[in-house]
Amino acid sequence: MKSLLETLKFTNITIGDIQSVDEMTVFPLVGPNRGNVASPNNLQFSRTTGYGNMEFKNDDERPAIVPAYTMVRGRGGQDHAMTGTGIVPRKESIIFNTACCVEQRQPGMLSGSDKDNRLDILPITLRKDLLDYNKRTKKEYGKLWSDIIRWLKGIGHGVSSEAGHLSYFYDNVQVKKALEDFAAEFEPVEGQIGAIILFSGVPVGLEIMPTNAHWDAYWKQLIRGSYTAELFRLKLLGKVKPSTLIMPEISPTAKPEEIKKTLEDFMSHLKKDVAPLLENVTIANIRTIGNTAGLQTDLLITNGGGGDIIYQEEEPIYISLVL
Amino acid sequence: MEMKKVEIDSGILQYVPKGAYYEGQDEQFTKVFDMWKKLFLFDRTLFSLMMLLSGTGFSKGMMTHFLLSNEQENLGKALVPASLASNYETQIIKYNLAKERTPRALKNLLLLCGDVKLNKVNNSRTRKIILEYIFNRSHDDLDNLAINYKNKLKTLIRHALGKQTLFKILNGNLVQFEKLIGRYNKNAGPVVYYIFNKEYPKKSISAYFKKINQCIQLREAASKKDADAFENLMKGLPLRTVMGFRNTYRVPIEIKDVMEDTSVSTKEALQMQSAAKRVGGKIKVDYKKQDIYDLWKILYHKVLTGEKDDVELIFKALNEIKLDKVDIGETVIIIDASKSMYGSDQRPLHPFLTALSISAMIENVKAVIYIGGKLTSVETEVTQTEIGWQGTSIIIPSGGTPLWRGLIDAVITGIKNIVVISDGYENSVKGTFDLVYKHFKNAGYDFNLTHINPVFAADAQKGTVRRIAEEINPLPITDYKFLETEIIFQKMIENKDLVKKLLVNRYQKLIGGGRTE
Repeated sequence: MKSLLETLKFTNITIGDIQSVDEMTVFPLVGPNRGNVASPNNLQFSRTTGYGNMEFKNDDERPAIVPAYTMVRGRGGQDHAMTGTGIVPRKESIIFNTACCVEQRQPGMLSGSDKDNRLDILPITLRKDLLDYNKRTKKEYGKLWSDIIRWLKGIGHGVSSEAGHLSYFYDNVQVKKALEDFAAEFEPVEGQIGAIILFSGVPVGLEIMPTNAHWDAYWKQLIRGSYTAELFRLKLLGKVKPSTLIMPEISPTAKPEEIKKTLEDFMSHLKKDVAPLLENVTIANIRTIGNTAGLQTDLLITNGGGGDIIYQEEEPIYISLVL
Repeated sequence: MEMKKVEIDSGILQYVPKGAYYEGQDEQFTKVFDMWKKLFLFDRTLFSLMMLLSGTGFSKGMMTHFLLSNEQENLGKALVPASLASNYETQIIKYNLAKERTPRALKNLLLLCGDVKLNKVNNSRTRKIILEYIFNRSHDDLDNLAINYKNKLKTLIRHALGKQTLFKILNGNLVQFEKLIGRYNKNAGPVVYYIFNKEYPKKSISAYFKKINQCIQLREAASKKDADAFENLMKGLPLRTVMGFRNTYRVPIEIKDVMEDTSVSTKEALQMQSAAKRVGGKIKVDYKKQDIYDLWKILYHKVLTGEKDDVELIFKALNEIKLDKVDIGETVIIIDASKSMYGSDQRPLHPFLTALSISAMIENVKAVIYIGGKLTSVETEVTQTEIGWQGTSIIIPSGGTPLWRGLIDAVITGIKNIVVISDGYENSVKGTFDLVYKHFKNAGYDFNLTHINPVFAADAQKGTVRRIAEEINPLPITDYKFLETEIIFQKMIENKDLVKKLLVNRYQKLIGGGRTE
């Protein structure tokens, strides 16, 4: 059976050394740069121009990709998030008018120049809530509020669920520190362009960026804002039990060389095992939802989740998939 | 109260407010401030004596602030232990000020003038310490101090004297001058007038303070935009002072000329090198006189920014540098070169460069094992045959942290001492290092493991840094110079009853004096 990466034609990608801390495991995906798109440094969030409208500016000579579900939280206005990826043609500013508010009562507009803005990617459950095409494209800024309230419910530890404010969670002092500390355990590796993320041994996400520079720029928003946030919430709800990767037994009489071989074999075995885990992911539907500046965006629905995949000259260069 | 109830480690002496890869400086400051406070409240004498150990200038400054903002006298002299002078705190504060480099000592005194985080401290002990530090020195020293740090001195003197007294002194009140300043240096009048931009009433001011006189003349030349006189007068004066006049009065003189003809300290020469290059000038740097950490820092800066000049000279200086090494027996060093060792944006590469410097401080090293990292070859602007230089590579921190591989490789060598220098973030897989370490210990392998951690971590479970093995207390060393102090500190902490006694002995050795009973 083909792995998901092969099915989606993501070639020349190898799986790097496992990184595993408590319940979260990250397999780095390493490979050559895939896309000829704007450098992440040249793409800026400019402002919100109205509720549900997020503007991004691309100073590059090449088209830019706004990572799927980019969320901006700031003090000056209502927090917003994209409902998928966005494409900004070269040297242009684009207003995405199907974005959503992730804060319910705070008035005001966000400015990209505000140094207090915090950028993250939406947590994976809320990303799944936006996979419905009609919901994603509907110009209704409050479309995620009820999902957010449901997402916040029961977390406790001072995290309220009385309104659709994601800041109740992300800006809670304890949560904020926990997210930072946990995400800090993971490190980007040389040539990394993506990752497969697992919770307690179960794959929950596949992320591939067009280039190593993109991964360097966005990995923390993904690992902290999307995956660690979800894992932390699930742990607080008691839905994920505390666990760590079970290491192989080492014989008390094992010599150093033997221990090294045992552990190397184990790590190598884990790498081989992760690809078959993705074989269980089947594609239910693929729908082209945009074609801008030479970049084609497809919305991909799988048996358990879905997300955006972007092609340039018919080659896949970006994917952000919740499994 | 037993000492074990106060959780401290020598991180309290090594704090620098510059953040880490994952933590902002505020978060770190809060944690270390709490440790200072706990130790201060637990045992003020111990707190003071700790300041005799090597530490960062900032830590010493903050600890000084603690002591001076809480009057020693209020607690009663009866509490001063035997073997210490009744003014031992003041002695220790002055000892530390004298040991610091001048800019740091002045910054520490300026902490007493208050800022966003700290209250002003203004009592007679503080005033005396400030004025004595400034004026109790030779005429030449005072001359140099005044022209190099005029604005800082202005703030400090105003703080120490108060506006009214300062006004009186600047208006000729000799009684106040003698009482507060003249007691340290009766000829210091012109210095005070110079610092506050007041014309000295008497004309004969240059006998003791030639550079001040030169500065006054330079300012006159600058105000007249007389470039020739300015160029003549600027020679030998501090770069910052001259540049200030040049910019304020828009003197038509090239920046590169100012940079090449004025004086900078050895450390400043290194810092100003790139700036000089940008304006077409060149500041000569004597790499052989530089600190090892600074040499690594400038080397990495050059490699990462593509500068090729002097790279081979820096390598030579690194190879030939003389260090007071610490000998703990034959050792294998494991250096964590993973991405997190890159450090914070405020202080890029600090953890890794500290690790490199620490490894150079250890005598008798049989092997150095790097975990992670990317090997990058270094280019120079001269050919290898011209200088006989073999060329080399440097390691850039990158990737994950399979530290366990290093431990196994080190144990295979049969070495008795293994030193791991790591920030304690292990992810490949977390806990594997501890698993392997415990296996070796349970199986009876005979080696000592020392974990040196160059990164302060507010999220550490215990102390100020993260650990990689449950049973190993890490040594927090954010500055390679503190390696020996840290080893001493750890030994003392293991036997808590000896802590104070050893520090009192150190006090008597360094400062002397004290009461006998």
